[in-house]
Amino acid sequence: MKQNTWELKDVVMMAVLGVVFAAVYMAVFEGGLLISVALTPMGLSPFGFELVYGIWFMAATLAAYIIRKPGAALTAEILASAVELLMGNSGGLTVVLTGVIQGLGAELVFAAFRYRKWNFASMSLAGILSAVFIFCYELYYLNYYLLAPGMLAAQLLVRFLSAVLFSGIICKLAGDALAKTGVVKSYAVGAAADTGKIYDEED
Amino acid sequence: MRAVNPACKFIGLLILTFALAWYHDPIFNLAAFVLSAALLLLARVKQKTLVYLSAPVFLFAAGMFFVGFRFSAGDSLPVSETTMAAASTSFRNGMIQASRVLAYAGIGFLFTLTTDRILLVRSFQKQFRLPQVFAYGLLAAWGIVPHMIREYKRTRAAFLARGIRVFAVSPALLAPLLVKSVRWSEELSIAMESKGFSGKEKRTDFQPVRVRWYDRAFLGLCLLLAVLPLFTAG
Repeated sequence: MKQNTWELKDVVMMAVLGVVFAAVYMAVFEGGLLISVALTPMGLSPFGFELVYGIWFMAATLAAYIIRKPGAALTAEILASAVELLMGNSGGLTVVLTGVIQGLGAELVFAAFRYRKWNFASMSLAGILSAVFIFCYELYYLNYYLLAPGMLAAQLLVRFLSAVLFSGIICKLAGDALAKTGVVKSYAVGAAADTGKIYDEED
Repeated sequence: MRAVNPACKFIGLLILTFALAWYHDPIFNLAAFVLSAALLLLARVKQKTLVYLSAPVFLFAAGMFFVGFRFSAGDSLPVSETTMAAASTSFRNGMIQASRVLAYAGIGFLFTLTTDRILLVRSFQKQFRLPQVFAYGLLAAWGIVPHMIREYKRTRAAFLARGIRVFAVSPALLAPLLVKSVRWSEELSIAMESKGFSGKEKRTDFQPVRVRWYDRAFLGLCLLLAVLPLFTAG
């Protein structure tokens, strides 16, 4: 098996993770909408979404954590955003582009660690850099540069916290839990993990 | 709109979206929203679907209006003086933020509601030279969505039967779903490979996705609309 070629099972798994997280995001999105409606009169409505922004980065970090191949984070995030496009979302067409940008952020961090460090710190950093990348893009695309700098800084801070929580902590825990069940035995994370009994379909 | 090649439609509408981001003019944004809505109605998209989908967009637009209104960047605003002479800066800023939500969402819906999903992936594969592994991997993942929904409902029912109430995105519900999904993805790829899919061999298409003259015309029209304001303003 060559390191850098994409096998079908990698691709399908990344896309499936994309589906799962897109669905989670959509469910949480409605909660975010409620919060932002409550915050609307204060002019703070984006915070409803900033709180859950980290869920966007989960597909990238979890896939990279499981597969541990160069390019996994980027590819997974692009596939996840393609799934988002298939599902239809209100953010518009550029969702695939945002996938590329966020994926690049996460990918750069894992590359900086030479794809060897897979811990809370590297995964949180991956989420944070995704957040930085996408924020730069939004400054232009969402005309955020028309808003007050203090407001933007606060938004970015909340987004960082969300990124650390979702793509750092929760993804790491989820990845380890998956490894323990044995379903990812054929991927890098599962090979390293100490697995118990592999579940049977009928268990 | 339904007849336009998905890849061409994607590129054309993407150009328009970026043009709107560049002009950040509330009137263009609102025009784009109204035009999208009109085209959607022409394409016979159900009105109920439209209302259901656009309700959160309007809420969000209202939210963004107040953000722009209260937290305007003020003097550093890079908009020409003449255009905002009539309205106050913060009001205009609020309008920009609110209208762009409507415009982007309108164009987004125009794309997703008039495009067949399978055709979209196949068109991407053909027109953007997307590798087969990705195109078919994406379709395979998309194909197990109904299974995921069923599994989710089943797990939830299992908890309910035991008298345990779990909230919609509880880890107790998502963890089994994640495990099952990963297993399905592996089984699916094994199944595909065992049926002879390798992603490398040349394939013929049952229904080839082609770019026709009106697809090119659509792209041209989008480009024209995107650059038109430059000439009218100058």
